Amino acid sequence: MILILSANNDFTTNEVIKWLHIFDKKYIRVHEFELFEIKVIDKKILLKSQRNSFYIDDINSVWFRRGGIKFNRLQFQNESVNKIMNETQFCLEDYVIKKLESKRHINKQSNNRTNKLLILEKAVAVGLDVPSYFLADNTDHINLGKTITKSISENIIVKSAFDDFDGILYTSIVDKQEDEVFFPTFFQEKIEKEFEIRCFYLNGKVWSCAIFSQNDEQTKIDNRIYNYGKPNRNVRYTLPPEIHHKICILMTELDYNCGSIDFIKSVDGKFYFLEVNPVGQFLGISDICNYTLEKEIADYL
Amino acid sequence: MKYFNLFSSVLITKGASRVLISDLERNVSELQSLDLYNLTEDLKLNSIEDVIKEYDRDSKEIINEYIDFLLENEYGFISHNDWDNSFNPLSFDYDSADVINNLFLELDNFSVLHKIRCAMDTIDIRYLVIYSIRQLSKEELEEIDFIFENTSLEGIEIYCPYHDQMNDSFISGLSDQSQRIYKLVLYNCDNITFSTNENLKFSLEYTKDHITIKNCGIVDLKYFNTNNTKIFESKNYNSCLFKKIGIDIEGNIKNCPLMPDHFGNIGNTSLEKVLEMAGFKKYWNLTKDHIAICKDCEFRYICTDCRAFTEKTHQNKDGLDTSKPLKCGYDPYTGEWSEWSTNPLKEKAMKYYDFKIDK
Repeated sequence: MILILSANNDFTTNEVIKWLHIFDKKYIRVHEFELFEIKVIDKKILLKSQRNSFYIDDINSVWFRRGGIKFNRLQFQNESVNKIMNETQFCLEDYVIKKLESKRHINKQSNNRTNKLLILEKAVAVGLDVPSYFLADNTDHINLGKTITKSISENIIVKSAFDDFDGILYTSIVDKQEDEVFFPTFFQEKIEKEFEIRCFYLNGKVWSCAIFSQNDEQTKIDNRIYNYGKPNRNVRYTLPPEIHHKICILMTELDYNCGSIDFIKSVDGKFYFLEVNPVGQFLGISDICNYTLEKEIADYL
Repeated sequence: MKYFNLFSSVLITKGASRVLISDLERNVSELQSLDLYNLTEDLKLNSIEDVIKEYDRDSKEIINEYIDFLLENEYGFISHNDWDNSFNPLSFDYDSADVINNLFLELDNFSVLHKIRCAMDTIDIRYLVIYSIRQLSKEELEEIDFIFENTSLEGIEIYCPYHDQMNDSFISGLSDQSQRIYKLVLYNCDNITFSTNENLKFSLEYTKDHITIKNCGIVDLKYFNTNNTKIFESKNYNSCLFKKIGIDIEGNIKNCPLMPDHFGNIGNTSLEKVLEMAGFKKYWNLTKDHIAICKDCEFRYICTDCRAFTEKTHQNKDGLDTSKPLKCGYDPYTGEWSEWSTNPLKEKAMKYYDFKIDK
């Protein structure tokens, strides 16, 4: 039995499930707001929510897509009892999650938060080219027009930043000095790019797509600012073997066996590593490059 | 030396007199001359400088214009010293996670819908197209949608006769209740009793005409479609009949309800059994590359084939009808369109299918 932890209505999950049907593989889908109780029946651990109920022994593989297993913590009136029961419950929950993660899996619930700064340090350590970067709280030493800034955190959506809209923290060029000191911010050297490369990694295999965003002023700095009239070119691409090899080492070091990785191919021919996202979107490149990655995932599970 | 690299998402289909350039990312196709095709073939083997060298002074200018055209439309890019071999060709394999993509049902009796629902326990059907010969009430339309709750059916398209109870509350109520209906077409619709600017979950179309299923099979520019799925499918399989199943008004199960061969009746057999029957899938692998005339047509991968109505002139060694679709008025050898139903060469086949001949 396959356990899928995902967001309700996640489109990618639906596409993978269609292939599970074709392969005749049984699965349980857990939604993000489902709360589980840990029960014991005949000495076996059973997880039970309003929608699902299963023994952890019956799970053969786990796909951590979004959300995760969440537990219903019991509260006790007596403070000392509550304290010790909290700890007891935590131990059991931790055991259940670690136990599930020890099975065949795609990514881990306990390791789903990325840290851009740590990842960049590791990327440098494995020998990938990384555009030079630093944190600063002022613009005094910034090379204007040749430096970009982007979010440190992985969440780039600012809910209701404007009256009726959410804001999105796109990558942008720093082109003017700020007078005041601000919160520590991430700055990075701007690389003159020939094109970008979006890769999908699964257990040692890499599928790549070159994105020509350079011909378009609108998408030059951040290709997520999509041009619907004249979309960027997205075409199949193969990275040089040494880059492929370094990706595998990096992903193993980070303990991700699946994820999306971004590179820039610079005009001087170098491959610059930008970031890794273990729960990134991959259906776009799968469709455009006809990689059927959703089938690869279903096959792996 | 400079080299021209064609983007892998650009497909050039050579026809007898022209080529069609299909842009699989921007979902558009355009017609171009055979000269442009020959140039792109040449640029696959030689550097830009060497290609230009081969031409005389006047032609050089034209060649440069062609190359500018290819670059301006972003059909390719230039690399230096060699072609950039890190760009792999696109795979045209077609792989979809369904057993039946499209079930066409000529509906009279609702019991057939329940039979289909049962079949869905073992086979994944993606889309259902229903043609109803009789009027349907709001409750019946909602029932059609409800029968497929909790199944992997993704969408339902319904063609049914208009009737005067179809007012705003009928339509918007149906929209509120439905989960899977994505298109509703009302025929025999002389005057409308509903507003058409409502925000509905499905697209709503209506026509004065009396639609019958015999209206199907027309080949025309307006039905052409440039997209990945369409092109991958037509390169590997029959662009109409692959993963399709039809049930006609009598309950006969066929590949397409307009084709003569049937494989049992829904009343006494199951869809699963029919799918395993010899001959049911005989047209599934017949691509346009093996159909007379179509194989020389530049539109062959963006067009939908028809095996129900053909010119009845060709047959292959397996006994498959490989004639051109009857309702196509295009001649790839001259590059001209004409009205198919007035073409004297088609008279014999039209008599066979009992179509009215306009003179």
